Amino acid sequence: MQVTGLAKRYGDQRALTDISFPVNAGEVLGLIGPNGAGKTTLMQAIAGTIATDDGQILWRGTSLPLPRRREFLFYLPDGVRPWEDQYVARVTELFAAIYGRSQAFLAQTIHALGLGPVLRKRIVELSKGYARRLLLALALLTPQPLLLMDEPFDGFDLRQTRDIMNVLREVAGAGRTLVLAIHQLRDAARVCDRFVLLAEGRVRGVGTLAQLQAQAGKPAADLEDVFLALT
Amino acid sequence: MRPLLDKELREVASGRALWTMLLILCPLAGYSFFQAVSLYGEASAAAGDSPVLGSGLSPLDGVLVPTFGGLYLAATLLFPFVAIRTLGREKESGALALLVQLPYRVPAFIVAKMTAIFAAWLAAILCAASALVVWSAMGGHLYLPETLDLLIGHVLYGLLVGAIALFSASISDSAATAAIITLAFTIGSWVLDFALAGQPGMLGWISQLSLTQTLRPFEQGLLSVGLLLGTVAAICGFAALAAVWLHPGVRVGTKIARSAACLTIAAAVVGLCTQLGRSVDVSEDRRNSFPAADQKALAELHEPLMIVVRFVPEDPRYADLRRNVLAKLERVMPRVTIQLATSGQSMLGSASEEAYGEVEYSYGGHSDKSRSTSHREILPLIYALAGRPIPQPIAGEDYPGYPLLANASPALAWFLGGLPLLIVIAWWRSRRPPQIPSQLVKNGGPP
Repeated sequence: MQVTGLAKRYGDQRALTDISFPVNAGEVLGLIGPNGAGKTTLMQAIAGTIATDDGQILWRGTSLPLPRRREFLFYLPDGVRPWEDQYVARVTELFAAIYGRSQAFLAQTIHALGLGPVLRKRIVELSKGYARRLLLALALLTPQPLLLMDEPFDGFDLRQTRDIMNVLREVAGAGRTLVLAIHQLRDAARVCDRFVLLAEGRVRGVGTLAQLQAQAGKPAADLEDVFLALT
Repeated sequence: MRPLLDKELREVASGRALWTMLLILCPLAGYSFFQAVSLYGEASAAAGDSPVLGSGLSPLDGVLVPTFGGLYLAATLLFPFVAIRTLGREKESGALALLVQLPYRVPAFIVAKMTAIFAAWLAAILCAASALVVWSAMGGHLYLPETLDLLIGHVLYGLLVGAIALFSASISDSAATAAIITLAFTIGSWVLDFALAGQPGMLGWISQLSLTQTLRPFEQGLLSVGLLLGTVAAICGFAALAAVWLHPGVRVGTKIARSAACLTIAAAVVGLCTQLGRSVDVSEDRRNSFPAADQKALAELHEPLMIVVRFVPEDPRYADLRRNVLAKLERVMPRVTIQLATSGQSMLGSASEEAYGEVEYSYGGHSDKSRSTSHREILPLIYALAGRPIPQPIAGEDYPGYPLLANASPALAWFLGGLPLLIVIAWWRSRRPPQIPSQLVKNGGPP
């Protein structure tokens, strides 16, 4: 996928300005930046859940209009608790039925994200961590080749974060491309192959850690130092 | 489509709004029924000594319409909250971002949501319609065509309110705002009814846009094809507007352009439907028709009948003439043209004219005038113009009336006890956790 010249304004405020970067097949790409950098707005713009003022999304070199985005990418928002009065089992079965996933696949996904103990709970009763696990399960039940995930590790402790990272690495290893918006740079450094650095709605750097280190002129710096240098 | 439909039905059933509406509907419809049956019984007692009084006792007017008045209140004030929930909760919770990414076109979402809204409204109608069963059990008379006609009217009214609520939810950021917009439509209709009905010119035309006007003909045993199709067109129009505004990723300018197109098409269709004058009198007492012999004779007059009316629209005598004669003539004769000779004039200004109050009838090259508003004087006049004899009345066609002295107390036990209990049980059952396939449970647990 290629993001080209994406721009978004809210009145006089420019939320995104001339955002361009490539996404390679099978990689885990990290969108990193502080709060207010525009990560969520960028993901929403790519997924088409907000209207943009300029730019386009290319899929294998062809422009991807809004109605076709959902054929190729699925966006998992942050901070949502959908269909609160429904049971976890019903919502996971809904996605499995919509996307034609087998019971075995559904079971595997539920097991991978540890949702077994809460299948008979309503979504409104879930803790923050389990709610996030549910959303991740819904994303993994979709078949689109590219997943956009906003703050996938939000609500998890250290051990849980490592476990989810392993799950995502397995998903990427199976061929799906992941674009993760992460504001914790240490988490991003552990799980992502390449990075897009965002600050104040602009791209400040794109590449692997080594490429960003070269760009920043700090060959031995970690991701945090590179980010501070480039933004 | 099946998984999406199941999800929408579960969403409506899982919300408190539906069950609260059904529980409130029980005393609304129940007490309306109890009062109606009691008053009907008193009138029946008074008619015991007078067959003429008895022939005026119609269950449609005396029992059914007042009972379903509770349903009308529920549709106007409570049902919007049920319908809004089908979209409002998803917008507020952020689930809309997931919904629009599912592999369905936007119209499919609207169809699924409208189906769920219809199912919820059907539940409400069933609750109110249980009064029909109670009435029958008491020995009350029901005439199927007029009863079905009344139910159709309420189904359409509820769906129209539901479609407006869905549209309101699609353009609002919160359920509260959507509720205000919807109630502006529904309660605003009451303002149109009270303030503008009977007013001349544009004001009178605007008053016809009241939502309540969609129900009135059905409550009078009239099945109007134009009204039915026009209401369906309005429902589809609001649903289409909801589809236009649903997706958050479409630019506002595009949505406005598409809305304008939807409104134009819907207005054109509704306008066409208003030109469909075809309507059928399904009332048992034939209140919307002349006596059967006159109906038969008038249907045979194929030449154009021109009627020039010298009343202003707000004159009550014109309303009488319209209801008793003109509307019936339009339904039975194939070619009737009615012209208001005083359009644009006020009642005060026109009343001073000598010819004011005259109605001129022209048929087959002959014409005559009358000041009567009763069919008993006007029909003989028309027969004379057509050179036809006055038809003899058909024996046995008089509406007998259905007086009934009944104790309505058992109805209270049903509406205040039995029916609410059933609703609570249904609510409890709807909230039970699903059966989990063993395969999912067996493989569950932390990774």
